[in-house]
Parts: sequence; structure tokens; C-alpha cells
Amino acid sequence: MIDIGRLRIALHGLHAGAARAALPLLTALCALGAEPAVAREAAPFPARAGLELAREAALSWSTDARLIYVENDEPLDPSGASERWGYLFHSPALDRLRGYSVRDGKIVIAENLEMKLEAPPVAMEWIDSGAALAAAEREVEDFREKHAETRLATMLLMRGPFLEKDPDETTWTLVYTAAGAPPLFVVVEATGGRVRRTWRG
Amino acid sequence: MGARTLRLALLMLPLLAAAVTPRPARAAETPDASAPDASAPAAAETPAAAETPAAAPVVAAPVVAAPVDIEVERVRPAKTKRPTLTFLKENRAFIRARFDLLRQRPGTGSAEAQDFDPRFLGYGDMLARTLAAKDSTAAAEDAWRRRQLLASITELGDLEARLEAMERLLAEQRGRLGVLQADFTGRQETALMVLASGWPGDAVALSAITIVLEDGDTLTVALTPEQRESLRQGGMVQIAHTFVEPREQMVEVTLAGAAWPAGDAAFLTLEPARDRLTMLRLDLSPVRSGRGAAEIRASTWLHQAGIDPTDG
Repeated sequence: MIDIGRLRIALHGLHAGAARAALPLLTALCALGAEPAVAREAAPFPARAGLELAREAALSWSTDARLIYVENDEPLDPSGASERWGYLFHSPALDRLRGYSVRDGKIVIAENLEMKLEAPPVAMEWIDSGAALAAAEREVEDFREKHAETRLATMLLMRGPFLEKDPDETTWTLVYTAAGAPPLFVVVEATGGRVRRTWRG
Repeated sequence: MGARTLRLALLMLPLLAAAVTPRPARAAETPDASAPDASAPAAAETPAAAETPAAAPVVAAPVVAAPVDIEVERVRPAKTKRPTLTFLKENRAFIRARFDLLRQRPGTGSAEAQDFDPRFLGYGDMLARTLAAKDSTAAAEDAWRRRQLLASITELGDLEARLEAMERLLAEQRGRLGVLQADFTGRQETALMVLASGWPGDAVALSAITIVLEDGDTLTVALTPEQRESLRQGGMVQIAHTFVEPREQMVEVTLAGAAWPAGDAAFLTLEPARDRLTMLRLDLSPVRSGRGAAEIRASTWLHQAGIDPTDG
């Protein structure tokens, strides 16, 4: 893989004419399929693994920051891990939302969300994405049999909105999609790992 | 012309070969502590460096944090835009509607108060008296049991066990207090301290320095005559000391003064290490009024000193 940074430093030290001469060669090398270093793949990780880093950043943003939402930012693998997870925090004092996207042990995105979302904080204890996926998979067999190209599109952790009868419960919601069919939602209790609800739509 | 270009391209080949060669592990880049090097603090902080197998068990020497130069840019560097929290953003109306269902709504029924049956108040009193009687019975039974137990010789052993349990609880509590002490007296949160040193070469009247962090926090420090004199004499001035997010971020530095172009800013990118104090030094000595803030020489290092949590 070409290290563009080192190459740039090397080019800096040369006469401009020499650098110009090297450019077509560099272009050719890149065209041969060399990828820039930043595009490399990162190891997938479960949702909890990135939480502490995100929480630390959130507390430096606002000391009363509370985690209200977690979602995979990249596709999920069969173990419920993703290369990138997004964590959304709410600060009651600032009345603002700030999200952090964690990849490869680093925060790659930090942004304020200019939207209103009166979501309560998620519970302190919740099962990780892998356990939630394992619990949900048992409920998806029928859907999979009917739709060959079923895929798990989204996993999100929230408290409240998908379990009206028990709104204080923090839940994982898994969204399965298949071509030509309405998505399947599976709601898993994030404290006990029990499937509480499924619906299509 | 063609032959000259070809010759130059051939001269470049070894450099290109060096660039396409995979980089060695960062641990291998850890420099000799006696020779300050730009990569020293970064390599010392990486897990790879910590995992370097040692030939024999040796006591780790304190790492000397050598400053690392940071590139100061005249134009705000572009950042790759990646999507995040996509489902939430795409379905915000749906999710908010679900929350609305959980919100309390005023009912349409009549809320007019009715006369209260006085007997109901009497029931409350009766219940309170019943509970009081129950408490009295329980207390009497408790006292009787206590006397029985004290009369027994085996109770002494039980008391001893309870004392031991209390001691254990106290020890656990001491441990928890130790954790709190370590967290609040010894643990460095992720923070950034910005220092300025040097004085612009052509003696322009520099009056203020503004630091803008990526999340929008802005801090303008007006330089007092004493601070200006200190900078002229080779001293250092603290511009900012703030908690920051442990991630790569851009810092915008603006200089202000009588002979200074308005809006003249410099941009530098740094990545404060998690739970550490990152120092950023802005050397103003290369700055000239005609060339702008991008002439600032910036360097960064990690603050090494800390409070020993076991102390005291």
C-alpha cells in the first residue's frame, strides 16, 4: 500500500521539476489499484466497546451529558459487530444533542444534531449488540424462509418509543430488510435479552 | 527535454520505492530517549509500543515527551464527510411520533371534585393504629429474641462474626474511597493547554490571540502589557486550558493587532490523547505582519507529570 504521507514528504524535499516528473508515475501507481491508507478496513466491534470513549468526549462537551441512543453506522456482521457505531448524547443543561461516531478506537465524527428529540437516557446496564442479535435471530427464521435476501440493516438502542406498554424499558430494536417486503422490526429487552415484540411495516 | 524528464523520473524511483514499502510497526520507531525525535511521544503512547517484547525484565524509565511539530495551514483543511446515525435522521418524525404517544395528555372527562366520605378518613386512622400495634408487637418480640440470643454462649461467636463483617465493610468502603481519590485527584481528564511564546519579528503590535476549537468554543485572550513584555523577553503565556474531546480536531488560531489583517487565521490539526493533558505551543517568533498567522510554528507534547494516587 502506498503511504501517501511519506511520499508527499519525499516529494517536498525535491526540486519542483523532479516532482512534476514523478507525478505521472505516481498517478500510474495509484491507477494500478493502490488504495490510500485512510480507506483501510477497521475491525468490527460490539456496541459497548466504543461507549466509554464516546461518553468521555460527551462529558467534556457537557458534564450532564446522557446517552440516549446508539446505532450502527456501518453494516453489521453476523455477530452483531460493526466497524463504526454512533452514540447520541443529550445535555439537559444545554438542551442540545451531540453525536459521536467511533471507529477503530477513535472518534471519527463529532457533530451537534439540530433536531428535537425528547428521549430519556438509556439504562445503565444493557446487553451488548451481539447478545441482542442472538436473541432476535430466533424470531427471524420465518421471515428468512420467506425472503431469501434478508439482511439486518439496523440495530438501535433506545428507551421508550418501541414498547408502549413498558416505556421505561431500554430496548434494542433490530430492523431486517428484504427486497420487495416491508421491513421486520424485532424489539429485544436490553436488560434481560427477551424478545418483547415483532412487527412488519 | 524528454531525456531530462526521464532522468528525473528515474532519480525519483528509489523514493517511490521507499514510499510503497510497508511502514514498520510504530514500536520500532520509538527513538532513543536521548535523541529527541518528532515521533517520540506518539510512539510512547501506542499500545504497540507497550507490547514490545523485552529481552529481560527491566524497570521502565520515564518517557521524556519531546515536542512534535504540527503543520500550520493557511486554509481550513477539508474533512471527509461520513454519515452517522442514519436511521435516526431518516426516521426522526416517526420516532418523535412514538415519543408523543407516551406523553401525558389532558383527558376530556369531568374533573369536578365530589364530597369526601368522612368514614374514609377514619379508615386511615384505623390502619395507622393497626400498623403501630404491629410495630409494638414486633419490637417486643425482637427484644425477647435478643435476650434469648445473648443468654446463649453461641451468640458471642455470632457477634464476633458480625464484627468481622463490619470490618470487611469498612475495608471495602476504604477501597471505594481510594478509587474516588484516585479519580478526582490523580486522573487527568482529556484536556488541552495552549501556550504562546516568542514575539513577532518585526515588532508588530500584537494585541490578542483567539483560539477556536472545532466544536465552536471560542476563546479570545487580550495580551496585557506585562504578557507582551514577557513574550518579548522569551517567556511563555498560557492562552487556554480546557477540557477537549479525545479525537482528531482542528484548532483555529487568529492573531489580532493594529497592523494585522482582519480575519487572518491559521489552522492546525491535533489529536488530544485520552485522559491526558496535551500541550500546544504556538511560537510567534517567525510571524511577520505581511505574511500572516500561518507563519506560527506550532508544536505539541503530552504533559507527563501527575499526582501519585497512592500518595497520602
